[in-house]
Amino acid sequence: MSRGGSRLSFLIPLVGFLVLAGFATLALFATLSGERDVTQLPSAMLGKPAPTTPLPDLINDGAAVSVADLRGVPFLVNVFASWCAPCRAEAPALALLAEDIRIMGIAYKDKPADSRRFLTQYGNPFVAVGVDRDGAAGMAWGVYGVPETFLVDADGTIVLRHAGPIDRRVLDEVIRPAIRDLQ
Amino acid sequence: MFARVFFPPMSPPVITELGHFALILAFVTSLCVAVLPLAGLRFGMLSLAALAAPATLVMAAAITFAFAALVAAFVASDFSVALVAAHSHSTKPLIYKISGTWGNHEGSLLLWILILALFGGLLAWRGRDIDFGLKTRTLAVQAMVTAGFLAFCLFTSNPFARLDDAPLNGRGLNPILQDPGLALHPPTLYVGYVGLSLAFAFAVAGLIEGRIDRDWARHVRPWVSAAWCALTAGIALGSWWAYYELGWGGWWFWDPVENASLMPWLAATALLHSTIVVEQRGRLKSWTVLLAILAFSLSLVGTFIVRSGLLTSVHSFASDPARGVFILGILLAAVGVPLLLFAIRGPQLASRDDHALISRESGLILNNFLLVAATVVVLVGTFYPLALEMVTGARITVGPPYFDATFNPIMAVLVVAMALGPLTAWRRGTLPSLRRSLVFGGAGAAVLAAAGLALANGISAAGIAGLALLGWLGLAITGDVLHRLKPWQDGSGARAGALGAPVWGMWTAHAGMVVFLIGALGNGLFQTEVVVRALPGDSVEVAGRTMTLRGVEARKGPNYVTETAVIELRDGNDILAVMTPEKRFYNAERQTTTEAAIRPRLGGDDYAVLGDGDATDGYTLRLYRKPFVSWIWGGAGLMAVGGAVAAIGRRQRRPVPPRAAMQAAS
Repeated sequence: MSRGGSRLSFLIPLVGFLVLAGFATLALFATLSGERDVTQLPSAMLGKPAPTTPLPDLINDGAAVSVADLRGVPFLVNVFASWCAPCRAEAPALALLAEDIRIMGIAYKDKPADSRRFLTQYGNPFVAVGVDRDGAAGMAWGVYGVPETFLVDADGTIVLRHAGPIDRRVLDEVIRPAIRDLQ
Repeated sequence: MFARVFFPPMSPPVITELGHFALILAFVTSLCVAVLPLAGLRFGMLSLAALAAPATLVMAAAITFAFAALVAAFVASDFSVALVAAHSHSTKPLIYKISGTWGNHEGSLLLWILILALFGGLLAWRGRDIDFGLKTRTLAVQAMVTAGFLAFCLFTSNPFARLDDAPLNGRGLNPILQDPGLALHPPTLYVGYVGLSLAFAFAVAGLIEGRIDRDWARHVRPWVSAAWCALTAGIALGSWWAYYELGWGGWWFWDPVENASLMPWLAATALLHSTIVVEQRGRLKSWTVLLAILAFSLSLVGTFIVRSGLLTSVHSFASDPARGVFILGILLAAVGVPLLLFAIRGPQLASRDDHALISRESGLILNNFLLVAATVVVLVGTFYPLALEMVTGARITVGPPYFDATFNPIMAVLVVAMALGPLTAWRRGTLPSLRRSLVFGGAGAAVLAAAGLALANGISAAGIAGLALLGWLGLAITGDVLHRLKPWQDGSGARAGALGAPVWGMWTAHAGMVVFLIGALGNGLFQTEVVVRALPGDSVEVAGRTMTLRGVEARKGPNYVTETAVIELRDGNDILAVMTPEKRFYNAERQTTTEAAIRPRLGGDDYAVLGDGDATDGYTLRLYRKPFVSWIWGGAGLMAVGGAVAAIGRRQRRPVPPRAAMQAAS
């Protein structure tokens, strides 16, 4: 430590710091240039088959909906809740997306009556909505919080996950390019 | 950018604008203090150097005024101030209007700067017995740091920005932050983080002078103790808050932001111990200077990494990568330059080792080695995912298993050493002198390990090891205290007084570690968790007690409505308590929070969380029995008290050892 020894050893802290700072700089500029999106939490589900457990249908009482019904062409799965403010914010983006691609909704930890009121008020972009009353489906999808959106390819494999609301930039720079890549 | 700073939008000249001007004044003053006194010392213009202390006080006063102006805007709910509109609401209780001032990026940055300036002011005002050159240079370095952060605040995060059209009401404060624990956690933590800035400033000043001696350590040590005390208390408050507010039932989650506060704590703990070696023996000087630089650097990383958008965490402020560039610039300057200075000047500080293998010095070097190793382990666990992503593009998270496998074993060795270090003599200790603590500690370890094996079925090897460590440290400390005080002989009161504050502080802090271990092990090894879906009337057994859900009702708070479960806790037929965990729905912010119901007792907490549900399907309940869990924070509190005792109390000045005096004379 404080042994006289080599003067070079006193350089070690500086070198170590510069290496760390280098990584941080790289990461920062990757974030700034948009290559790295910090809202994209790492997801263990990427590249895995989408969970197909049937969920109670929000619209038709007694029926069930499953991701398995939608396979064949790519589709989106949007996890939302009536109590979630950002979900309202992304309603226009979902409406735009619904013109190009089918979207399935999962009403996460929400009372069905509230979910239905939410869809009446902010518009219903979904071809089907599953009820996830206790959050079990959310768990299966690895959901951190609402809203989250998944892009699933024709075979039922998850190819993209977006945590947080879809705004104009995410729509144009993340979701739409990913859909184009699949088609 | 300059236009925005120096010509704020036209509006009535009210206190907000005055606060803004005070901040600009402080920025200009800090630039002066950073440059002029150093130039004065360099070119022998002492009147210029003498400016440092009064100008630092002016700067501190201006920043205090600016902060008060911001608090005033929050209290008055002046929604023409952008920050207030974004983070406050007129229906919020007064205390949360005040604490809302630092519940956001800009405001908490200003609080940070305020504490930085107050520490500088305190040194300028109090430090009369410090050598003029050292004090002046220290104040100049402190002002450099302050200037950097004032620039960051003014140019990228102006808290005083006005809105052209003031909204009728604000957007509200994140309800999770509307809590007494969180009103206190950030200020306390910041006092800890920022307190380390003075040790840093002293270290850089010492490097500029090329002189670090026992006097230097004598001036630095109280500041390090004080910062360490606040840091300990701040981390404990955060952990306690997470325990009762987040409703996850845990007290530490290895979240990047938690790690970011743990790293400076570990480094500060090492610094606290190595400073003693410099003060008492004049050794480990370059190492101590390095630690002082690193501890504050890690504080900077801890405070600002979350604001740069580099790491994802549940704690993240609205992160903005554009601010990240500024933060990175500050970090490069504040860490890189001192480390460069260290590489150039450090070798001059090298001192000759003259201690035996078994000695207090060796013990403290081992302490430092282990604490720094633990810091590195946490650093790697926090930044490895980022580095891996940069190299391979893969994104991973490092979780508790990594830290359990790396951090805990290092801490275990540290606890073993903690029991022996304080008993060893300076320079030359002997094995026989350690015999007492070896016997006491060994007995304690054996008894607790055996008790664990006998009482707990299927306890893990790590659990046994933990209990053995607890017994070892607990009895070794007890043995040391008994031996030194000899309460069974006359004059123990005089002996207690003669020991001096540092020894009492050390004992208190080390005993805090024992108490902390009781809590961590009790909760970790013997916790019971039950998750059920219950209908009103249902009973659940949790660790021998019965919890009955009586019903769930709606209640009304000042700015929220709740869903409150009424749960009866019984032991046999005795009703121990009625517990009311709730979910709060905040109208203004349209968010829900979970409030766990906790019945804290020394022997353990009963803990209930209400999940989702309704009267027909039943409600999800998470119920816990957590033995000794409150000892975790009690232990941290004792450590903080120990730090405070060591910071405030006087040390008996140790005479210079005769041999060193002879060498100095020859």
